Amino acid sequence: MQWDFASVLANSDALLVGAMGTLRIFAICLVAGLGLGLVVGLGRYSRRRWFYWPATAFVEFFRNTPVLVQILWFYFALPILMPFSISPLAAASLGISLNSAAFSAEIYRAGIQSIERAQWDGARALGMSFLQAMRRIILPQALKRMTPALTNRAIEIFKMSTLASAVAYVELLQQAKLIASLNFNPIEAYTAVAVIFFACLWPMVQLTYFLERRLARDE
Amino acid sequence: MYVWDFTPVLANAGLLAQGLVNTLKVTGTALACGLVLGLALALMRLSRRRLAAWPAGFVIEVFRTTPPLVQLFWFFFALPLIIGVEMTPFLAAAVTFSIQSSAFFAEVFRGGIVSIERGQWEAARAIGMTQPQAMRRIILPQAVKRMIPAFMERAIELMKTTTLVATIAYADLLFAANEIAQKTFRPLETFTVAALIYFVVITAFSLAARRLERRFAVSGETTVH
Repeated sequence: MQWDFASVLANSDALLVGAMGTLRIFAICLVAGLGLGLVVGLGRYSRRRWFYWPATAFVEFFRNTPVLVQILWFYFALPILMPFSISPLAAASLGISLNSAAFSAEIYRAGIQSIERAQWDGARALGMSFLQAMRRIILPQALKRMTPALTNRAIEIFKMSTLASAVAYVELLQQAKLIASLNFNPIEAYTAVAVIFFACLWPMVQLTYFLERRLARDE
Repeated sequence: MYVWDFTPVLANAGLLAQGLVNTLKVTGTALACGLVLGLALALMRLSRRRLAAWPAGFVIEVFRTTPPLVQLFWFFFALPLIIGVEMTPFLAAAVTFSIQSSAFFAEVFRGGIVSIERGQWEAARAIGMTQPQAMRRIILPQAVKRMIPAFMERAIELMKTTTLVATIAYADLLFAANEIAQKTFRPLETFTVAALIYFVVITAFSLAARRLERRFAVSGETTVH
């Protein structure tokens, strides 16, 4: 058989639109997922029951259901309870963000727990409140330890963004589907998209390896 | 105010049950093939021969760094045209998830094998074992025990990933739920029930995994790296 990437290149504008869509949903889910994850992670760390239990239930539920099920639930089921419709972008972002929040919450919790008690005592001795100690003393140190795990999460979010194509959100994979069905070139279209994803994710994976090695050396 | 009504879902419980069976079928197949292939890839990557190590490293890196849905589409839509073979959704899913999980399993195997102390190799050599004998009888049995928690975690991840087969019309649990939702016009109830089924099954697996992990921790092997 004959490989013909010209038919994919001819549609590079469609791929560009898809790439913008992928980047948009990645950015939204990265900020929302890791941000909400910090709140939930603090909840998991808290000793107060009315803070701890909802956070735990959230984490368990979103970690123990497939993210595609969550996306389809937000797209098909949630609008029935809501007075407004939900766009593919909103449904996919909700599913991926909440799922990532649950996973990153456990990273934050483990990171905070890994900081020695003495750091807390030291902050207290200087007259800091709990929140001040958390913000100024504990989190900066914990974040350093968490960086490799959080970069890993970012990679997962990037990969999960392809699931948005299941609700017809315009991203790279969705555009590949479109190109393949219009030009009858699924081999080239899907290979091209696979290569694009690999090219984007490979540097991120190397960065994670580098951060892991540096952390192992520093500690 | 919306009135919940689960009777249309209950009337189709058989479809959901069949879907769950199909989900478990894909998961089981991919798990079995993935473990065998993963061990082979790990041994190749650990090999000192570049001709074995590099291709294994390539497969592992490619399948770990591309989205599983892209892989699935590639195997379902592109591969059949290249090799001229009819591809069923089940076959595409089994092949994709076997290779994909083998890439992750390979790294677990490799980590476990590398974690065994040099002394174990030296002792095996001292009593006259060859490299493959030492690997099979001394190193792997100890390494596998340390790897079990990571395996369980990967297996659970795999089960969640198999929901992607619904996008190529394989009748797994999610696909069945989608069918029922369209047929009965009850997407809220159907997708909620499907999510709950996944939650119950996956939670049961992860509780079992945690219990097993604790037992290994008690028996003196650290499972936390």
